[in-house]
Amino acid sequence: MSSIDSTASTGGGGKELIGTVAGPGEGPNEFIVVTPDEQAVKTGEFITYSVPVEGTDRDVIARVTNREQARGLPETFMADPNVAPETVASTLGVPTDEIDLYRLEATVIGFYDTGMQTFSNPRQLPSPGTRLWTAPNEMLEAILPNLGVDEEAATDTSGSIDLSRVDVEDREGLAHMGWLLNREANAVDIHVPIDEFAATHLAILASTGSGKSYTAGVLMEEMMMPDSRASLLVFDPHGEYGTLSEMRGDETFSGEGYQPEVEYFDPENLRIRISELNVGDVMSILDNPSDRMQERLDGGWRAMQRRESRTWGVNDLLDEMRQQYGEDDSSVGALEWRLRRSIQRNDLFTTDANVPLDDLVAPGRCTVLQMDTLSRRDQQMIATVLLRRLYQARLAAVRNRGEDDKFDGEIIRHPLFALFEEGHRFAPATGEAPSLGIMRTITSEGRKFGFGLGIISQRPSKIDQDVLSQCGTQVTMQIQNPTDQDAIKNSVEAAGEEVLRELPGLTPGQAVVSGDSMNTPVLIQVRERHTRHGADSIPATSQWQQAHEERRQQPSRAEAADMGGGESTGEEDLL
Amino acid sequence: MSSQSTDDTGSEESSHIDDCLAIGSIVNSNSHMDYTVEIFNETDRDRPPEPHECGFGQPVFIHKTIDGTEYIIMGVIYDTQLVDPDQGRSGPRLAQGDQPQFTPGYVEERTTLAGVALLGTAEVTESGTVESPSHEMPRWTLAVDDVVEQCPDEVTRIFHTGTDGGLQIAYIERLLDVAGPLGAEVTLAIVERLRDLFSEDAHQRVLDVVEKDVRWQSSVDRGVMQ
Repeated sequence: MSSIDSTASTGGGGKELIGTVAGPGEGPNEFIVVTPDEQAVKTGEFITYSVPVEGTDRDVIARVTNREQARGLPETFMADPNVAPETVASTLGVPTDEIDLYRLEATVIGFYDTGMQTFSNPRQLPSPGTRLWTAPNEMLEAILPNLGVDEEAATDTSGSIDLSRVDVEDREGLAHMGWLLNREANAVDIHVPIDEFAATHLAILASTGSGKSYTAGVLMEEMMMPDSRASLLVFDPHGEYGTLSEMRGDETFSGEGYQPEVEYFDPENLRIRISELNVGDVMSILDNPSDRMQERLDGGWRAMQRRESRTWGVNDLLDEMRQQYGEDDSSVGALEWRLRRSIQRNDLFTTDANVPLDDLVAPGRCTVLQMDTLSRRDQQMIATVLLRRLYQARLAAVRNRGEDDKFDGEIIRHPLFALFEEGHRFAPATGEAPSLGIMRTITSEGRKFGFGLGIISQRPSKIDQDVLSQCGTQVTMQIQNPTDQDAIKNSVEAAGEEVLRELPGLTPGQAVVSGDSMNTPVLIQVRERHTRHGADSIPATSQWQQAHEERRQQPSRAEAADMGGGESTGEEDLL
Repeated sequence: MSSQSTDDTGSEESSHIDDCLAIGSIVNSNSHMDYTVEIFNETDRDRPPEPHECGFGQPVFIHKTIDGTEYIIMGVIYDTQLVDPDQGRSGPRLAQGDQPQFTPGYVEERTTLAGVALLGTAEVTESGTVESPSHEMPRWTLAVDDVVEQCPDEVTRIFHTGTDGGLQIAYIERLLDVAGPLGAEVTLAIVERLRDLFSEDAHQRVLDVVEKDVRWQSSVDRGVMQ
């Protein structure tokens, strides 16, 4: 869209005269609008009026927060559903044409200050009689997300500031999430600045089935576009992101010699080198170690970590502890059993293999860790170790350790974004998880080191409040559960009353985007994904049918599974 | 007027307004919309109206020619009042009950007065029926001695039929206002008549809604319901 087009369409691009200011409302920033129109203005709609601020006329944006009928046919005319109230009205000679009047409550958001690059409240309500328009589409596109539109971008050829001329599509590094819900599809596209949420973290909160994985998919697609080429790491406990591989070779995602890479890591090649664990991690997976055992383990582990070799295993550790505490130490004996059970017999832990971080993450690469076959504890363990390594590597890069010849650690020179499906598993509010500590560290410090986290969860109340409150951008979808709503209220700063009020009424695919990436919370319809959605529920009935058909065609096996008679009780077979 | 000598009580079935029973004449008005009618008795007419012909809620009309166009002005009896100048007199009477010929006029001035609220107007066609009903307030004033006639059902029906063929009771707010304390009752009386005239289910349902609304509102106004 050229700038000439957008200027010309200012009149038609969603800007319609809708009503007149009747007077101030209850709150200091509220005012009342009277409109005769039934359809034009919905709750949540952005309306605009002009007010002089320091000598310049400013277009102030306000949000419609409530809508009541001020005049209409009385309810008594609706006593019989078979009789239209209009029929009763015409019988009684009551006028029915265009008599409906609506009273809208609106809250001032402010005018867009190109200097501050955000909304500024004029502290001045429109005077009664002021005419109101719905805000033009192009203008909303430019000022609703935190795009940092400055004076230069907004000034037209004649030297006056016209926010409608800013063409958002020309800008880079933006994620097109969807469009403003109250307007027609694609009328006001919402482009969220990726830099913002990649630095200050993201939370996608929604109940099951309302489209949180879908929305995450949309964001990941946007981050893998040629103008972003993100380095993405996805912790996928359910194996929902298999379809992202469709991005490979898709023209939508390629450009200027760039093709997004999508790599999958399954448990087969997800291994943790034992020496990467710290003593706290080990404690968390051992069964009730006594104080003495903890002390023994601590001593042994420290000694092992001081060694040159990083490929030691449980046996080496036990040897070290016996050496320190004696062959017959009972605590070491007890530890042996626990260590062998929790670490040595777990395929997850190895002595040598360690996926190099460069293989794992790279710019323009989306790495999906498919952990659906692993236990919760193993998933947490992988997250803990990987996050710690990645964080150290980022820390090293930011502190220019690479220039130090003696530095032999890992280093990652580009920012990272890690997305956690089922975020409450990795940073739970109650109970222990080894990953919680590093997640807290990254959410509070990651901004400085270019390490962003995205937390996806259907149970905001089960996420650690420190982690959740540090997520600067929130995409909130339908949430009915009052506990979860409270969790959002308590930990999400930008979630105002109006956002919370919308949550129960949203339908799948609708979301409230709020926080650092937005100048004001906005209700959007999430756009369609370019790749397929991979997290549909399993169609139980059809699969039952199919399974039953298969069983019927194999009568012999069905008979063999009879557990009712013979010497077997059936129970033994099951055990 | 021809109606004064007719005995045709079946005139209510006709849509003609010529042969209708005269029930009284205007003697007074309280406002532009509110007239007092003296009901005819035996001394006024050979065929005075029977009580059921000039009862509460009876639609009536006054036939007038205005500026060369014949109109009927529709009204409804919304109130009645008995007047007996003899009441409270304790002095001797000049005549006995069986000697009416010696009775001075004022003794026989026992009359029934009826309040008539105007509803609207309709034009009279050449064939003597009515058309173009209007529920607007009539602009012309009536005169003392104008004869008020009983309105035939068919005329009542035409008067209450809107341009779209639907039921019309657009005067309702004025009627409720003019009729004052008995406004709800007179409206319900009209609704009752309209039920017989508009038997279609759709119309009956509309009348149901109107009736319930009026009943409810009057119950609330009168403090039966809060």
